[in-house]
Amino acid sequence: MLLSLRVGFFLAVRQLRRSGKGTTILITFIMILTFLNLVVVSGLLVGLISGSFKQFREAYSGEVLITSADGRDYIENSPALITFLESHPKVKAISPRYSVGVQMLGTLTDLPGKNEKPNRIGITLTGIDPDREEVVTGFSRFLKYGEPLEEGDEGQVLLGANMIKRYSSFADANIPGLSLLEDVDIGNRVRVSFSRSGGGVVSKEFIIKGIVKSKVDEISTRAFITDRELKQLLPVNKEQVQSIAIKTDYEYASTLVAETKEFMEGHAARIQTTDEAIPSFLRDIEQTFSILGNALSSVALIVASITVFIVIFINAVTKRKFIGIMKGIGISPRAIQFSYIFQALFYGVVGSVIGVILTFGMLKPYFDAHPIDFPFSDGILVATAEGAAIRIAILLTVTLIAGYIPAKIIVRRNTLDSILGR
Amino acid sequence: MIKAEKLIKSYGTGELELVVLKGLDFEIKTGEFAAIIGPSGSGKSTLLYQLSLLDEPTSGEVILGGVRTGRLSMQEKTDIRLGKLGYVFQDYALLPELTALENVALPIIMQGHTMQESYAKASLALERIGMVDKKHNLPSQLSGGQQQRVSIARAIAHEPQILFADEPTANLDSVNGMRVMEAFRDLHEKSDQTIIMVTHEPEYAAFAERVITLVDGVIVSDERKSVVK
Repeated sequence: MLLSLRVGFFLAVRQLRRSGKGTTILITFIMILTFLNLVVVSGLLVGLISGSFKQFREAYSGEVLITSADGRDYIENSPALITFLESHPKVKAISPRYSVGVQMLGTLTDLPGKNEKPNRIGITLTGIDPDREEVVTGFSRFLKYGEPLEEGDEGQVLLGANMIKRYSSFADANIPGLSLLEDVDIGNRVRVSFSRSGGGVVSKEFIIKGIVKSKVDEISTRAFITDRELKQLLPVNKEQVQSIAIKTDYEYASTLVAETKEFMEGHAARIQTTDEAIPSFLRDIEQTFSILGNALSSVALIVASITVFIVIFINAVTKRKFIGIMKGIGISPRAIQFSYIFQALFYGVVGSVIGVILTFGMLKPYFDAHPIDFPFSDGILVATAEGAAIRIAILLTVTLIAGYIPAKIIVRRNTLDSILGR
Repeated sequence: MIKAEKLIKSYGTGELELVVLKGLDFEIKTGEFAAIIGPSGSGKSTLLYQLSLLDEPTSGEVILGGVRTGRLSMQEKTDIRLGKLGYVFQDYALLPELTALENVALPIIMQGHTMQESYAKASLALERIGMVDKKHNLPSQLSGGQQQRVSIARAIAHEPQILFADEPTANLDSVNGMRVMEAFRDLHEKSDQTIIMVTHEPEYAAFAERVITLVDGVIVSDERKSVVK
């Protein structure tokens, strides 16, 4: 067996080195494309969704997101929790946010006519500390028009672009039930009003300072004022926030969640890693895309295996006489088979290595720097070393089988018939 | 050394049966240089294939060094071909991707020798037939006569008990044909190499000390004569 391997390798190296360069380049090229099809196509499909996960994390949730528990208006024990998180050595930054559902009136000068709907929308008003929010999410990068929100601002609001007809991506979508503010722009006044829990209405006018836009809904469909100002408007529970975004190491997130849950023993709050906070339908889409990617990869794999089969078969058929002669002079059939298997593996290995270099050296950095502009996400290329290793193993196994079968078919033919070309 | 007993080889069955070898009995002793001659279709190449274990007779048996080869497995026959027999084919049959040295070394490597030993033995064999200066040439860089001499080097490099040659000069001009035959004669005279050669050209058969003439699958003459010097 070892001797056959040695002779097979001896033959394969020389056959590869001295056979037509064009053929070798062509087959290698096919194997590279197959590898890219295996890794990149599914990686991009999954990446379209994963891009939205990444943006959700970077633009809104941080690595850990704490929100109000079901049936609660706020995160219980907020001040102590914030102190705990601020003093936690693994927490890099936090951004506590107040939020309240409000009605926002866009037209303050004219009253609506009879049977005319007022220029009003329901929107979540979020109070942020601009400096802390900047550290966690880089909030200022979402400002598309106008000025950023600053500490100390009063009567100033940033509006999510998707709530203003002029800037919304859905303005011409005519979606039933979707109301957008009309004739509103930077510098205009809007009136915010919401009900107190004990009765009565709080109402205040704001000047639109800027428009924020992101592919993350939590940015594009909300209104933002400073936390200090929103706290003043709140009648009760002024120190209790509605969400806390926490920046920590991605790998540490689940540990921090466990530690925070332990700290919050007896106080209600929803404490999740960013991945847990992602809506399940997005997870389903990711899974579907992954299946779709695998299906496309399987087709690519079949095409590659047939290609290798044909190449090795033709190679072996055209050398049938020489195979017969080798068998005639005593070279073991197994050694001859190994020589073809080695050749097939060579194509597979070279294709995979170049494919890996292209994927991790060029394509992945490229898509990280220039994501695909998808309506709900910036698509990236999801390619992990583990995933690539599995695909290389599959590709090499298929290549090995596709090389072995034709070699076996030709090698087992009668020696004398092969020599005489019968 | 090698003995044929009631050797019959036929193709087809029933009315279409063609009997090519019709019960041949003969023996070739160690150190003999035997030529098998005969007209086209006389069965001389078929006989060579049976004797060299490349084919199996329909009936009868080839006894090689006392071993009844009819009872051997395919693997055992392959091992005998590798270890005890050497082959020179009509069309040289060198592997195109291997240099002269690599072609000659291949069977030696298959025998389990190290690369270094194999190349040393191969170089020696090429030297014996005067081709060592071309050892790094690919077959495509050699003339027909040179390729056939490399093929002889491959056949003798592992010091086989019997060297089989099937029409070794058929594709060569007379000058190269003569050089190949001289190589055979040198091997026979200097190393006492047993050679069984099929040829249809009497001038090349004259190099052998024994000439077996085959007509329609039957030995019509078996002559020993003085070798051409």
